[in-house]
Amino acid sequence: MKKLDLRLMRMLRRSKGQFISVAVIVAVALCIYILFSTTSTNLENSVEQYYEMTNISYLTIELVRIPQGVTEDLVSIEGIRNVQGRISVDVPLEVEDDNEKVNIRLISLPDDGGDINKLFTEQKAGMGPNDNDSVILLEQFAKARNIKTGDIITPRINGRIYRLKVSGIASSSEFVYLMENEQTIMPAPEKFGVAYISEDFAQSVFGYKGSFNEMLVKTKTNVDIDDVIDSLEQKLDKYGIKKIIKLEDQLSNDILKQELDGIEMMSNIIPVMFLVVAAIIISIMLSRIVNNDRMAIGVLKALGYGNNKVLFHYIKYSLAIGLTGAVIGISVGILLAGPISRYYTVFFNIPLAGLKIEYSYIFYGMLLTCIFCTASGLLGARRVIRILPADSMRPEAPKSGKRTFIEQVTIFWKHVPFSWKMVIRNILRNKKRFAFLVLGLAMAFGINTVPLYMKDAMMSMFELQYGEYQKMDYTIQFTKPQNKNVIIDLNNLIDADKIEPRIEYPFELAKGWRNMTVNVIGVPRQTAFHKFVDMRGNVIILPNRGVFITEAIAEELNVGKGDTITIKNFIPGKKDIEIKVAGIFRQYLGANAYINIEAMEELLLEKQLITGVSIETQADLKEELKDAANISAVNSVDDMYRAFSEYMDLMLLAIGFYMLFGGILGFALIYNSTIIAISERAMEFATLRIMGFDKKDVYGMISRENFVMAGIAIIVGIPLGAGMIKGMVESFSSDIMTLPFLLSPDTFIQAAVATIFFVVIAQLATLKKIYNLDFIDALKSRIS
Amino acid sequence: MQKKVLMKVENVSKDYVMGEVTVNALRGASFEIYESEFIVILGPSGSGKSTLLNIIGGMDLPTEGKLFLGNEEINKYNDRKLTAYRRDKVGFVFQFYNLMSNLTAKENVELATEMCKNALNINEVMEAVELGHRKDHFPSQLSGGEQQRVAIARAVAKNPLMLLCDEPTGALDYKTGILVLSLLHKINQQYKKTVVIITHNMAIGDMADRVIKMGSGRIVEIKKNDAPIPPERIEW
Ligand SMILES: Nc1ncnc2c1ncn2[C@@H]1O[C@H](COP(=O)(O)OP(=O)(O)OP(=O)(O)O)[C@@H](O)[C@H]1O
Ligand SMILES: [Mg+2]
Repeated sequence: MKKLDLRLMRMLRRSKGQFISVAVIVAVALCIYILFSTTSTNLENSVEQYYEMTNISYLTIELVRIPQGVTEDLVSIEGIRNVQGRISVDVPLEVEDDNEKVNIRLISLPDDGGDINKLFTEQKAGMGPNDNDSVILLEQFAKARNIKTGDIITPRINGRIYRLKVSGIASSSEFVYLMENEQTIMPAPEKFGVAYISEDFAQSVFGYKGSFNEMLVKTKTNVDIDDVIDSLEQKLDKYGIKKIIKLEDQLSNDILKQELDGIEMMSNIIPVMFLVVAAIIISIMLSRIVNNDRMAIGVLKALGYGNNKVLFHYIKYSLAIGLTGAVIGISVGILLAGPISRYYTVFFNIPLAGLKIEYSYIFYGMLLTCIFCTASGLLGARRVIRILPADSMRPEAPKSGKRTFIEQVTIFWKHVPFSWKMVIRNILRNKKRFAFLVLGLAMAFGINTVPLYMKDAMMSMFELQYGEYQKMDYTIQFTKPQNKNVIIDLNNLIDADKIEPRIEYPFELAKGWRNMTVNVIGVPRQTAFHKFVDMRGNVIILPNRGVFITEAIAEELNVGKGDTITIKNFIPGKKDIEIKVAGIFRQYLGANAYINIEAMEELLLEKQLITGVSIETQADLKEELKDAANISAVNSVDDMYRAFSEYMDLMLLAIGFYMLFGGILGFALIYNSTIIAISERAMEFATLRIMGFDKKDVYGMISRENFVMAGIAIIVGIPLGAGMIKGMVESFSSDIMTLPFLLSPDTFIQAAVATIFFVVIAQLATLKKIYNLDFIDALKSRIS
Repeated sequence: MQKKVLMKVENVSKDYVMGEVTVNALRGASFEIYESEFIVILGPSGSGKSTLLNIIGGMDLPTEGKLFLGNEEINKYNDRKLTAYRRDKVGFVFQFYNLMSNLTAKENVELATEMCKNALNINEVMEAVELGHRKDHFPSQLSGGEQQRVAIARAVAKNPLMLLCDEPTGALDYKTGILVLSLLHKINQQYKKTVVIITHNMAIGDMADRVIKMGSGRIVEIKKNDAPIPPERIEW
C-alpha cells in the first residue's frame, strides 16, 4: 500500500467516532435511496403485471342504460378490442351494529367470470359467482369485516333485505385502493365493500332486464384513446353516458400512481438532503484536518508530491467515509427492499411480480456518493493548494488576527459580556463554516416542518371542507330522481332542523378540446349548508345563471371567471348548454361544479326533480331511514370524521418517522461540529481553564454557540420550510385533492422545538468530551 | 582539482509583499554550487538564509534572477516541473525533523522514495543512519536526534543531487548535533552528495568546503576552507 494511503488509514482510525457518525448519514441516505427506488420499481412492475393478468379495462363507461345487444356491436368501432357490460349499483349493507353505516357496491359478473377486469385469487385469475344467492366478496372488505367463505351478507336492495352467501373471496385490479368515491379521503375497507353477483340476479333485482349501466372497454394498443372515446360518445349518446373514465383517471389507479410517485419522490429528496448534510460535515472536518496538517502538507510538497496528489490524499478521506457508508447503506437497502416491497404489495393486495435488484440504482447511488464526497472534499481541502512547500519550514502559521466588524462598533462591543464576546468572535471568524452549519440545520428544521404541516393541512382540509364550506350533517342520495315534494315526506319522517334539496349529477364540462367529467351539484341560491369562498378568500354567492368551479377544473379546462363553458348533457332528449363561469371557489376534496338548483332543474334535468337532500339534524338518520325506500346512500359527516381520525393516527406514525430523519441530521451536524470545535480549540479552552474558567463555563460557551446557530438556522429554516411545504402542496395536489397552502405558526414552533430537542441531545453527547479535555495536555501538545 | 558546477545562482532576489510593506528578503545573491561540495551558510536571523535555500530547493521562486542546473533554468519552471525537480533532484532536512507522526521511521522514508525512480535501498540507508533496529518505531518513540537521522535518511534515500538542511542541529543538544553533522559529513563523503547546511553556529563552518556568510539579504562573504576539519573535532 502507498505510504500516503497508510497515513490516511491511520488518520481515519484515530477519528473513528466522527468517521462512523458521518458514514452513518451516508448509509442512511443510500439505504433510503436503494430501498425506496427498488421498492418503487418492484411495485410498478407488480401493478403492471397485475393489470395485465386481470386484463384491466382501459375505459370504464357509466351510462343510464344500454341494451346488451348494443354492447356487442361496439367491437366494430375502430380501435376497440373487446367490451364487457355490467351492472354496478351501490346499496346499504345490513350489519350487526345498527349504528354502523356500511355500503356495498354490487357489480354483476358474467357467468364465466368475464374477460375484462377479471377477479384474482391466490389460485387463479377469473372466477364467477355460480348462482343467484351467492356473491364473491372483495378481499379487503372481507378481511376488514372478518367475513369468511360460507358466511351470509345482507344487502338492502330497494328496501328489501337479501341474504346472499359468500361463495368466494377475491381481489380486483380496479379496487387496489378501495374507495367509495372522490370525496373519500382514504380507504375505509370496513365501511365500503364490493361484492360480485351474477348477471341474472343483478338484472332482475335492479330492473335491468337485458341491459347494463356500465361498460368496460379494452382498446387495442397503438390507438389514440381519445379517438375511441369520440366514436363511443357518438354511438352511445342516446343511452345516456354519465362518465367515460380512462384508466389513468380511474380512482384506484390514480391514487395508486400517486402513492408510487410519493415513494419515488421520497427516494430522491431525502437521500439528497442527507448527502448534503454529510458533505457539509465532511468539508468542515477536512478543513480542520488540512489546517492541522499544514506542516505535513508542506513537507509532502517539499518531498516532491504535486498539488493534485496531496489534494487527492484528502479527497480520499472523504471518499473513504462516503464509500464505506454507501456500501453499508446499499447492502442494508437491498436487504430491506425485499420485505418492504412485499409489505407494500400485501398492503395493496396485489401479487408481487418478483423481486429485482436494479443495478443501475446501485451505480447511481455510488456515483452520487462519489460526486458529493469529491465536492465536499474539494471544498474542505482546497486550501491544500495554497499551502507552499516552504510552509514546512515554519512550524506554525499564526492565525490572522483581525477585529471583526462588530468589535469596531465599540459602544455595542463594550457592553457585551466576555463569554458572549468569545461566541460572537468565533462565529464571525468562521463565517463560511457557520453559514454551512446553519444551512444544514435549517434543512433539518425544514424536514421537520413538512410532516407537521401535512398533519395540520389534513386536519384543516377536513375541517374547512365539512365545518366551513359544507355544513350539513347528512347528505342523502335517492336511488332515482324524485319530485321535490319528497322533502315534505322526509320532514314528516324524520326530526330535521333543516332540509335542502340538491341535485348531483355527473356531466362533462368542456372548453374547446379540453374536457373533464365531474359531478355538477345544484343547490338553492340561499343555501344554508354551502359556503363558497373564492381564491382570494371572499365569500361569493351563486348567481341565477352561471356556474362555480374549483380551481382544479379551471386549470384543467384552462378557463377563468367570465369565460363560457359547455355542459354536455348525456341525458337522452336534453341539449348541451353554454354557461358562464361565475366564480372559482375553494374545495379541497373532490372536484365539483355548482349551479343554482333552479337553473339546473330547468337546463339539465326535468322540472321539480331532485336527486338528493342535505340535512341538518341531531337525530341518527341512518337508524331512522334504515327501512326507507328509494334511498341509495345516507352519508354522515360524523362517520367521515371518525374514519378520518383513524387515518390521522396512522399519519402520526409517519410524522414521527420524518421527524427522526430531521433529528438525525440535526444531531449529526451539532455532534460533529462540536467535536471538531473541541479539537480545534483545545488550546483556547486550555488557556481559558488556566485563566480560571471551569469546565461548565467552557461547556456553556460551546452550548451558547450551538444555540445561537440553531436560532439562526430556525429563522433561515422558516422560508426554507415554507418552500418545502409549497413543493409538497404542488406535488400532492390533484383533481381529487388540493392541499391547502397554510403556514401556521404552530407548525414552525413545533418544528423548532423538535430541532432544539435534537440539538440538546447532540450537545449532551459531546458533554463528556469537553469534561475529559485535559487542559495541561492541550497546552503541552505541539504540532507533530 | 577543478570542481564541476552543479548549480549556478545568478543575481537572485526575493521580495515578500505584505500589503503596503515589501520585505526584501534576498537582494541579488550570486554564487555557484559545485558537485559533492559541503557548503555552510551562516548569518544572523532574518538575513535571508532560509529564503535562499528554499529558492535553491525549488520550494519558492525568486522575484528576480536566474538559477541554472546544467542548462535548465529553474526559475522558469512551472508548478509541475518544480514538483518534479523537488522530487528527483533535492533532499530536504528540516530543523524540526517534520516526520509524519502516524508513519513509522521506515514508512517515512518510503513516503519519499516511492515516487522516485532511482531511489536507494531503504534498508541500507537505514543502516547508514544507524537506525536499522528502530525502523519500525513511530516518531514519538524516537529521540530528537534519532528523528533527525530518520529525516536525513528520508532525504538521502531519494538519491538526490543535493541535500539541503535548514538548521538541522538547531533543536538538538551538542552531542546529538555532532552526531547528525558527522552523518551528513559521511553522506557527503560516501555518496558524493552535495550538502548545503544553514546554521547560526560559526563553529560548524569549520567542517565546510566553503562558507557563505549572509547579512540583510545579501551574500557578504564566501570563504573557501582549504582544510576542513571532521565534525567530531568541532567544539562550541
Ligand atoms: N513568507 C514570508 N512572508 C513575508 N516575509 C517573509 C516570509 N518568509 C520570510 N520572510 C522575511 O524575509 C526575511 C528573511 O527571512 P528568512 O527566513 O530567509 O531568514 P533566515 O535567515 O532564515 O532567519 P532565521 O535564522 O531566523 O531562520 C525576514 O525578514 C522574514 O521576515
Ligand atoms: Mg531560517
